[in-house]
Order: sequence, then C-alpha cells, then structure tokens
Amino acid sequence: MNEPRREPVSRRQFLRHGVRLAAIAGVGGLVGALAGRTRAETTVWQIDPAKCLHCSNCATHCVLEQSAVKCVHAYAMCGYCQLCTGYFEPEPNELTTAAENQLCPTAAIKRSFVEDPYYEYTIDEQLCIGCAKCVEGCSRFGNGSLFLQVRHDRCLNCNECAIAVVCPGDAFRRVPVSHPYRLKTDH
Amino acid sequence: MNKDTLPPEPWSRRRFVTTVVHGAALASAGALTGRPALAATGNDFAYDVSRFSKTDPKLIAWEEVSRRTCPVREARRIAFGPGDVLHVAAGNEIVRLSPDGNTSRFELGAAVFCVAVAGDGTIHAGLRDHIQVLDARGNRRAAWEAQPKRSWFSGLAVGENDVFAADAGNRVVVRYDRSGKVLGRIGAKDAARNIPGLIVPSPYLDVDIHPDGLLRVTNPGRHRFEAYTFDGDFEAAWGTASAAITGFCGCCNPIALAVLPDGRIITGEKGLARAKVFRADGTFESVVAGPESFAAGTKPASEPGDGMRGGLDAAVDSRGRIHLLDRATAEIRILQPRARA
Repeated sequence: MNEPRREPVSRRQFLRHGVRLAAIAGVGGLVGALAGRTRAETTVWQIDPAKCLHCSNCATHCVLEQSAVKCVHAYAMCGYCQLCTGYFEPEPNELTTAAENQLCPTAAIKRSFVEDPYYEYTIDEQLCIGCAKCVEGCSRFGNGSLFLQVRHDRCLNCNECAIAVVCPGDAFRRVPVSHPYRLKTDH
Repeated sequence: MNKDTLPPEPWSRRRFVTTVVHGAALASAGALTGRPALAATGNDFAYDVSRFSKTDPKLIAWEEVSRRTCPVREARRIAFGPGDVLHVAAGNEIVRLSPDGNTSRFELGAAVFCVAVAGDGTIHAGLRDHIQVLDARGNRRAAWEAQPKRSWFSGLAVGENDVFAADAGNRVVVRYDRSGKVLGRIGAKDAARNIPGLIVPSPYLDVDIHPDGLLRVTNPGRHRFEAYTFDGDFEAAWGTASAAITGFCGCCNPIALAVLPDGRIITGEKGLARAKVFRADGTFESVVAGPESFAAGTKPASEPGDGMRGGLDAAVDSRGRIHLLDRATAEIRILQPRARA
C-alpha cells in the first residue's frame, strides 16, 4: 500500500511556523536570561572585617569615582573615648575638633560630647572615602569599633570587583543578598 | 652706548633646552623629598606612628636574657607563685611554667582572663564574671559567686587577707576576703569621696598591691595609674596622655602594671607595645622594652571575640627580673637591668 503523500508546505505555512518557532525561542531565551540574572544577584560583595588589613585600597581601586566602601561604626563596641585614635592624629596638639588634630582626610567623622569624659563619633557617609585610616587607628589602639563595609546603595556589584582583585587580606567575599553586611557586634 | 644698557643676549635653542631639563630635574627632586611619609609607606592614607616606634637607646635600662613561649596561644596575663613558678592565664587554662622548664596545664572550661597566686601557692583564676580557686596542685577548690551581668575580670592581685579583682566591665576593683566574700568595690565614680572614676574603654584593667600598703590600679581612659587604700579611698594619680615615651599612648593605656621589690612600677601598653619603669611617685625612669622589640607586638587586625589579644603584661620574679608577656605571640621575655658602662 502506498503511503499517503504529504501535503507540500506552502510559503505562508513556512513563514508562520518560522515566526512561531522564533517567538518560542525568544521567550525561552528571555526566561533563561532572567533566571541567570536572578541567580547572579543572589549574592553581593562584602568585606569580612576580621580579614581587613586597613590598607586603603578600597579608597583608590573602586570603579566608582567615590568608593562604595564606607566606614561604619559599631556603637555597642565603642569606648566613647575622649582621645579617640580613630578621630585624632597620633599625637594631636589638643583634643579639639580643629582640622589639624583630625585624622580623617575628609573630616568625615563628627565628634559630639556625651558626658565627661565620653564622646560619640558618627560617620558622615557623604564625606567618607573608605580610606580606613580611622579603622587602623581604632583597631591598633582601641576596640576596632570602626570598620569598613561595602554599601549596597552605591555598589554596582561588578562580576569582578576591582577592589577584591587587589585586596591583600582576601577580605572581599560574595555574601547572600539576604545578609548583605558583616557587622561587628561585640568585643 | 653704555654696556649696562645693552639688550640681553637672545637665548639659543641649546641653552633653553638645557635650562628646562635642569628645572624639571630640580622640581622632581623637590617633590620627592617633600613627601617623606608617602615615600616611606607608599600610601597617602597610612596611619603613621613610625616616629614613635623607635626608642632612644639611652632610655633603655633593661636587657633581654632569655625568652620562652607559652604553649597556649591565647595568653593574656602572667603572675608568679612561690618558687618563681610563672602562671599564665591562657585560653581556657592556667599554664604553669617552672624555672626548670617543666610545664603543667589546668583546664578551667572557659576563657581565663587573669591570674594571681597567693604565698601558699593557692591559684586564683579570673574568668569573665567569677573567680575560681585552685590549690597548689591545680585541684579546683572553689568557684566564687558570679558578679553582675557586665563583669569582665581582667586583672587580679592577692594579698595576705584579700583578693582584688579588676572588673573592666563594671569599671571597679572588687575586694574579696580569701573565702570569696565581697568586702567592697573600689574606684567607682563618687564625687563625695573625690573619686573621679575608672574609665575603661576596652577590657583591660589591672590592679596590684604596692609595698607602701596601697593598691595601684590602671585607669586607661585617663591615661594614668592611681593609688587607693584597701577601703577604697583615692590617694593619688600619675600619668599623662602622650605617644611620647614618657606618656601613655592611644585611647586607653596603660593596660598592665607590676611592682618591683623596691616599689618602682612597671607599666605595659598596647598599640605601641612598650614597657616602662616609673618611680613610686610617678616619675618616669626608664624603658624596659620599646615597640621596636616587638615585631608583631600590636593588636592583630580586627581580632574578633576576645578583647585581650594585644599589648603587654608584666610580672616580676624574686630576683627582680621583669617578665614581659607579648600577647600577640604568647612569648615571655625575661629582662634584667642592663650593666652600666
């Protein structure tokens, strides 16, 4: 018995099938791309404070004009020192807010009196450039309550972070976006 | 035409190029010599304490005669017992180092922050919020009642009838009798008794008993050491805040003290690891060891979980030799007075 002869595909059918196939492939590609992007953004860059060496590369190697890395302050760990080594030059002329006594190159730390002899120190993130000079002063002499973190309202979350590449302490790591900060909480 | 009024000679191309090259060379040399800090560290943002890290050799009156290492890395405080046996509060243990080189270790189950040994060999170990008592063989005899929530014992001294525990968390020295009963708290701010109060930004507070019958207590936030009676009356204070060798550096120093048999006081610092000797009246006398002696003698970078991992502690043996504990390396250096030329 002869097999039934297949109807020849008309040009219109061919075009219709082609368009349908392209649409399915396009939708599939879009879904795949979205899935991949979602997977990439489940992690973000962050600094492990225990590994940070306060080298100042964060200030100079970020692709942003002003680094996404900022100093943050764990108030629970702070000694509220009158002579804060994160705020003052190693041998200040006097313990005042005069510019020549301040360690920070951009005057990003604000000092306010609490009660004798305690002072509170707060970071102005608009001014902070993430140079870690204060972090080194605080960690060397004090409790290490000042430390660096990548601020995610600024970070571009580059695939290859320019700071991570040069970090001598290997302190940069990908962390879950659900826990984007590595905060110090205790001595 | 007068020679003085002649117009200047026109510059040749060679002369112009030579002058420009010389000028550029001079400018480069000026720029290099004008930025010593950057040339030294290569970092515009360096926290530079290098000028304080070298000690004038004329001020160093002690020389190292030997060195030993505590087998437990997290060494925090040292104290001598009878027979010049050195006791080290390290990790969760008391480590006992005999002069003949023998070592014994007593596990206490939690971090031991300080230690003091009575004349009969009884060991008092300061854990975070209470004191444990061990006999001379290391058998546990008592655990005294825990102190309030914020307690952080960081220094101990034991006398004939009293034990003094420096509680950095509550900024007081707790006075106990030898059975563990609290007799008083010393150093709390009290305007009526003219007591300024202890300022302890980080968990380092130390206490020792002086031959003059008074206590010596560090007050690191005020950069000085203070004298109190056993009943808590404030008698005197000495010390200034300065990175210079005669002062106490950083936010909070001194962190340790020990007393020589003649009453002179040894102080230990962190940040710039250095140990110095002061006369009983607080006058600076000499340097035991400066920062250049401790390559890794500063606090490890952002060390988590333990507030007592940097700086120096000191103890004195029966021969008047100073033993310095470098917390960063758990090394104990033994120093004796330098022979005078």
